[in-house]
Amino acid sequence: MATVDPIDVHWTDSEPAVLSGREYRRARRTPLTWVRGGGLATLLFLLPMLFVFGAFSWYPIVRTVIMSVQHTNLVSPATWVGLDNFRAVLNDPVLPKAVENTAEFAGLALIFGYPVPLVAAVLMSEARRFRGVYSALAYLPVVIPPVVAVLLWKTFYDASPTGVFNTILGWVHLGPYPWLQSQQTALPSLVLESTWANAGGTVIIYLAALTGVNRELYEAASVDGASLWRKVWHITIPQLRGVLLLTMILQIIGTAQVFLEPYLFTSGGPANATVTVLLMIYNYAFGNSLGGDYGSATALSLMLAAFLALFSLLYLRLTRSWSSK
Amino acid sequence: MIVVPGRRRARSVEGSGPALIGPDEWRRARVRWGFGGAQVLLLIGLIVIGLGPLVWLAKSAITPTNDTITYPMALFPHGAAWSNLHEAWSNVQVGKYFWNTVVLAIGSWFAQVFVATTAGFALSVLRPAYAKVITALLLTTLFVPAVVLLVPLYVEIVHPPLIHHSFIDSYWAVWLPAGASAFNVVLVARFFDNLPREIFEAARIDGAGPFRLFWSVVLPMSKPILGVVSVFAVLASWKDFLWPLLVLTNPDEQPLSVRLPQIQSQTSLGVFLAALFIASLVPIIGFLIFQRSFLRGTGLGGAIKG
Amino acid sequence: MKSTRMTALLAVIVTSLLAVFASSVSSAATTKTTTISVVSLIPGSTPEAIAQFNNQVAAFEKANPSIKVKPIEYQWTGPTFAAKLAAGTLPTVFEVPFTDARSLGDNGQLADLTAEIKQLPYYSKYNKAVLAEGTTAKGKIIALPKGAYAMALHYNRKLFTAAGLDPNKPPTTWAQVQSYARLITQKTGKAGYAQMGKDDNSAGWVFTTLVYSLGGRMETGRGTTAKATLNNAKAVTALSMLKKMRWTDNTMGSNFDMGWSDINQAFAAGNVGMYINGSDVYTNLVSASNIDPSIYGLAPIPLAKNKTAGVLGGGTLVAVRPDANAAARAAAVKWIDFYYERPLVDKAQAIRNAKTLVAGKQPVGVPALPLFNKAQYDLANTWIKPYINVPLAQMKPFNTGIFNQQVIAEPAASTQSVYKTLDGPVQAVLTDKNANVQQLLDQANSTAQAQISAGK
Repeated sequence: MATVDPIDVHWTDSEPAVLSGREYRRARRTPLTWVRGGGLATLLFLLPMLFVFGAFSWYPIVRTVIMSVQHTNLVSPATWVGLDNFRAVLNDPVLPKAVENTAEFAGLALIFGYPVPLVAAVLMSEARRFRGVYSALAYLPVVIPPVVAVLLWKTFYDASPTGVFNTILGWVHLGPYPWLQSQQTALPSLVLESTWANAGGTVIIYLAALTGVNRELYEAASVDGASLWRKVWHITIPQLRGVLLLTMILQIIGTAQVFLEPYLFTSGGPANATVTVLLMIYNYAFGNSLGGDYGSATALSLMLAAFLALFSLLYLRLTRSWSSK
Repeated sequence: MIVVPGRRRARSVEGSGPALIGPDEWRRARVRWGFGGAQVLLLIGLIVIGLGPLVWLAKSAITPTNDTITYPMALFPHGAAWSNLHEAWSNVQVGKYFWNTVVLAIGSWFAQVFVATTAGFALSVLRPAYAKVITALLLTTLFVPAVVLLVPLYVEIVHPPLIHHSFIDSYWAVWLPAGASAFNVVLVARFFDNLPREIFEAARIDGAGPFRLFWSVVLPMSKPILGVVSVFAVLASWKDFLWPLLVLTNPDEQPLSVRLPQIQSQTSLGVFLAALFIASLVPIIGFLIFQRSFLRGTGLGGAIKG
Repeated sequence: MKSTRMTALLAVIVTSLLAVFASSVSSAATTKTTTISVVSLIPGSTPEAIAQFNNQVAAFEKANPSIKVKPIEYQWTGPTFAAKLAAGTLPTVFEVPFTDARSLGDNGQLADLTAEIKQLPYYSKYNKAVLAEGTTAKGKIIALPKGAYAMALHYNRKLFTAAGLDPNKPPTTWAQVQSYARLITQKTGKAGYAQMGKDDNSAGWVFTTLVYSLGGRMETGRGTTAKATLNNAKAVTALSMLKKMRWTDNTMGSNFDMGWSDINQAFAAGNVGMYINGSDVYTNLVSASNIDPSIYGLAPIPLAKNKTAGVLGGGTLVAVRPDANAAARAAAVKWIDFYYERPLVDKAQAIRNAKTLVAGKQPVGVPALPLFNKAQYDLANTWIKPYINVPLAQMKPFNTGIFNQQVIAEPAASTQSVYKTLDGPVQAVLTDKNANVQQLLDQANSTAQAQISAGK
């Protein structure tokens, strides 16, 4: 199956380079030959990237590590505090709740948003008519700006009996439900909207991957008289395993950094029922009018990043045998 | 291995596809009714789920606030309120924020395309000896979650090192960091890798320097990948919320995504929904026009990222 | 509307050009022009309100030819303030709520205006408690008051009538609030009593009001040695009352995450029988939510019959950015004097101010608390009497009642953190039927104590 290991992303350098070719590398190197050989031009081409990445990617990554062991709020000069920030974050009574909510969000998002797109994609790829309509409809919610989607769904979630969802459910004598107004239903409500907003992208990825499934396998199975379910289970899913495994880890990494939904729907409420790790980071850094606690914010982001790195590594390890079967 | 964006592959996405169910099987009643029925159900479901909320938004954008609050599912019980749209445009100034969004998107798009093409060209076509080091540094950033950058990047924008001028409330604070997308650079470099190198050699023999080669040979050949990067860039910029919220504190400069949540509580529901409707109209129209690039881009992005 | 705005803009440009021209002719040789930027109005204000403000600027520049004023739309919010301060993009003159001013001043984040302010002719007449809100622990004056308010009970007269209640007799005890709320919900289906529940500190702020009205306090002492008392007996009573209104009476509607603006809007739309907010909120109800004035009623907060029961007061101060130089500070105080303070102490200025507000369709005569003393406040109100355009008769219960109430300042130490901590218990009670009131408050108290001790 052609695709899909991010670690495999690399440049083949077997072919000869064009302008700063090997002959220049072998020749005696002086600044002049370097310039003549296109070294300066190459550097000029690299300059925008070096500047932008240096300033807005590499430097901030290093700064995060430094800031996490400092007390800094932009007002008074930064002071070294060792691991105090990490300790403060770990002792924050909100942290367990935030971790629990984030995990629950990621878990629910997997339950809602993982199998449904797969089933939809399999059905759609076999459609003999309107295939474009199917995928366009599925993808439409993804195009809506996320902020608009959340604000629209906030209206749907109006908890009064005349709210949009409560009216619709009222037709079949259900509800009214409190949606965002209850500690029990708030988080699932956020996941529901998030699934609506993102599932279309997953469907399209599966659709693309399904085109790579070898037709001959299906035909051979048909000849053997295999049932539809057996074909899906024994051919389609195994052939998609690479994509399936990667969309899963990517979705987990994405939902572990969920911010927009809890921020705009509930700002973490009611009573911390929807506070997430990223919302905590935001509140540390930007939630206080007397200056941000950037130390705690960076300490928590580092811990989250470390956790995700470990988790991904473990995940790749555990799934390696299956995905390379 | 990386899937290369090619016409063959793209067509196969929309083309006949795999035949999980052979023609013989389609003729069997159980398959036909079971699978076909599931497909019809799916289509209905997609219409309700994908289109329903947008239709409701369109309806409510021109419905008086009180009707929307009291009878959210009724169709114009007391007539339409076209004034909502007008009020959203002129009083809520959706037009202004809309323009800000466009300006931000154009700048971010340019930064991304500029950085990705120049860097991709240097790394993939010019190939200096140190390309490997830079590539490795680039790839590491792919593995750092965005959240790690948030706070230090913000502090850097507020208090840039070396220069004593804050970039808060400046569009540069959004445009420039947008350029730092390793994903774009990788994507473009991969594409350049697969261009026929004989053409570069020929151009070199004709006396073309690196700049001519870049501008007149490589760029014209890379329209497909530029299209994909552009769709990603514009879409990402249109969706961006947290970063512009942090660095653009002046309401006059904010894009729609930042502004809409803030005006919600000062605007009547009807007018607010009209504003939401206007805000989603452009991406929807853009999607319908460039549908193929969108769907291909996403599929491709998934194949590469995933 | 656009054309009015354009004309207004043109007018401002022309007048300011004239002013610059005039100043350059008259005083080019003697004085240098100082430019200050000032906060104008919150973003999203009506074109009329903006034109009204620009007229004030033109008048000020005419009177002070050596000062150039640049209006900037700006709304004070916690996160943007910290960023703007660090980035140096604050306007020279900006507004800060009482809640934060002293902490900011103690941190050296506001300019010291003591010398300039002491020269104001009416300096000695300020209400000491109000002035103290803008004075640091070391006695430096860092801000002047723009306005002060007491928390008040806003009620919908139309819903009162529909529920068979007398709209001229608002509730005077919390027991009445509860029974009136039941009647309103029964008869109209609307929320009889609603309360802010958003965790942007507003839930904690209104809850503190409730506790004050029963006679409780959230802390004792000042600074990092203050003691948190969030779990006092009155707080337990107040939270239990909310729980009863929410779950037993079910009179609080179905949305419990409303913030300051949301609840104003819900009230203006006629969906709320009674709610608590600052006494000056009518301005916002008019300018942002287009309230029908006939439904509006304003009453003082019902106070328990004990000595410590009082009404929470608050307000807005005007401050100057810390890096302003002497000339900018002097110019800034002149602007504060002209725009904010004079209308309260100077008859001509008060009338001129009222006239421009009326012309801009902005409310005049919104109930507030005196910044100086009651006599001065009443006097100023007689000056502007012909221009008052708010339904004064419907605000009578408040205007007569408030001066018999004891006004109590916000918790002094870690104010925002205390409010933030209290958001949780309020939300918990409103969204969880089985919430344990005592346990919630005990927990909040220890959290708040940690914040106070850390000076956060």
